[in-house]
Amino acid sequence: MSLNVTLKILRSRPHQAQRYETFNVNVPDAANVLDAIEQAWAQHDRDLMFRHACHHASCGTCAVRINGAEKLPCIAPVREYIGLEIKIEPLKNFPIVGDLVVDVASFFQKQEASDFTITRPTENELDGRPIAHTDGLDSESAAIVPFNRFENCIECGICLSACPTMAADHKFFGPAALAAVKRQLDKTTDANERAKLLQLADDEQGVWRCHSAWECTEACPQNVFPAESIMALRQEITAQRFKNFFRR
Amino acid sequence: MPNKKSSWGWFWQAVTGILLILLVGLHMVAHHFVAEGGLRDFKQVIEYLSNPVIIVAELAFLISVTVHAMLGMRSILFDLGLSARMERFVTQASIVVGGLTVLYGFWLTYTILAQGSAPTAFLFP
Amino acid sequence: MNLYRPELSRFRFLRWFDFRTWRLGMLAYILNRVTALGLVLYLYIHLVVLTMLAAGPKSWDPFVAIVRSPFFLALDVILLAGLLIHGLNGLRVALTGFGCGVRAQKPLFVALMLFAAIALLIGAIKIFTG
Repeated sequence: MSLNVTLKILRSRPHQAQRYETFNVNVPDAANVLDAIEQAWAQHDRDLMFRHACHHASCGTCAVRINGAEKLPCIAPVREYIGLEIKIEPLKNFPIVGDLVVDVASFFQKQEASDFTITRPTENELDGRPIAHTDGLDSESAAIVPFNRFENCIECGICLSACPTMAADHKFFGPAALAAVKRQLDKTTDANERAKLLQLADDEQGVWRCHSAWECTEACPQNVFPAESIMALRQEITAQRFKNFFRR
Repeated sequence: MPNKKSSWGWFWQAVTGILLILLVGLHMVAHHFVAEGGLRDFKQVIEYLSNPVIIVAELAFLISVTVHAMLGMRSILFDLGLSARMERFVTQASIVVGGLTVLYGFWLTYTILAQGSAPTAFLFP
Repeated sequence: MNLYRPELSRFRFLRWFDFRTWRLGMLAYILNRVTALGLVLYLYIHLVVLTMLAAGPKSWDPFVAIVRSPFFLALDVILLAGLLIHGLNGLRVALTGFGCGVRAQKPLFVALMLFAAIALLIGAIKIFTG
């Protein structure tokens, strides 16, 4: 079985007016929107700029807006848009390199500010029961292998595109970077390190700039809950201020 | 982030906001719900202001609402994506406008009380 | 690198009103902003009008007679609606910002707005019959 799909893609190039271009493509009915974009590129226009890598929602490279909403096209089934024209636009609030490709340099700069590490120790419980990560290992390996997993954030930039404050002012530190600060804070007990991280978030352009629209959490494809992290940071910074005030 | 500055703006916005729920509540109930005819005439206003606690509450309302409005307008204006220079100007302007608003409110209260033969008129020789 | 930079457009704030993906939190944010602007406008109109009160009963009492008409009472109901929406939603923003009810922000919004609707109804009846 296959589906005929109409893609309406926003085309942009520096120094040229933006325009929408329509592509009719035929894809298997199990296809995702990214497959349809690849068809448009392969069959109709080799100039079409888009970006992808893994095809299974773990690299965060392909993020775009589909019918206005930020999505990973690699896991957005085409059949959810049956009868609709699928409008595909690049992420908002980033400079556009061309067509669907945006420049995410500023995103990674802000992400690096907290020395965010993309891996973390695994959970040592499952549904409330403790689990041993050393099962099946000999005692020597069990003693030296630190089991790690990836952080939830795949650094796709979707939250920055969905955030209305980011749309207003690119000086805002942004949901992803603040969520990263919160993750780093959770990973350390070192008092100096914690103070440094809280200081990074405690800025007019940091947690205080957020207007609580919760769009980042709504749009995030990976359960990072950036808005909740921002609220937790506010709570922590406020508690810290009170402690400092009464300690004087 | 260059020009790092911690901010108490959000904190005071929240604190004045919570205060305002009580003070606006009092203001609305007193002036619109229990007032005969839906709004107080001059005599009724003077009667209302004869209670010193009410004067304190109305002045607290004036200060909180001004602080809340200025912090709010500032953050809305900042969302136009201003330059650092314009941001400084907006901050200074909101301090000036807020200060003038509070001064005007105090003058208003004084003038009204001075005119009425309220029991507290002795405070305003 | 040559870049197309719509994110720096002077009119980027208009994207606040890109309603294609509005969800509850965004709706609350827009409502808060619209009511905020309305309430600030009202505050200053109110303060200017109060110069009449400062001028004494001769100027205030005829004015009060006019604004006790149904038209102005209806404006009072609109004011009450703005205050209820902004105040109660603001309470939600403050609470979640201090770490309370963060995971419940959506049910909190719905519950507070239901409360606002009931309070507005009672308030409107009070304003017109009181």
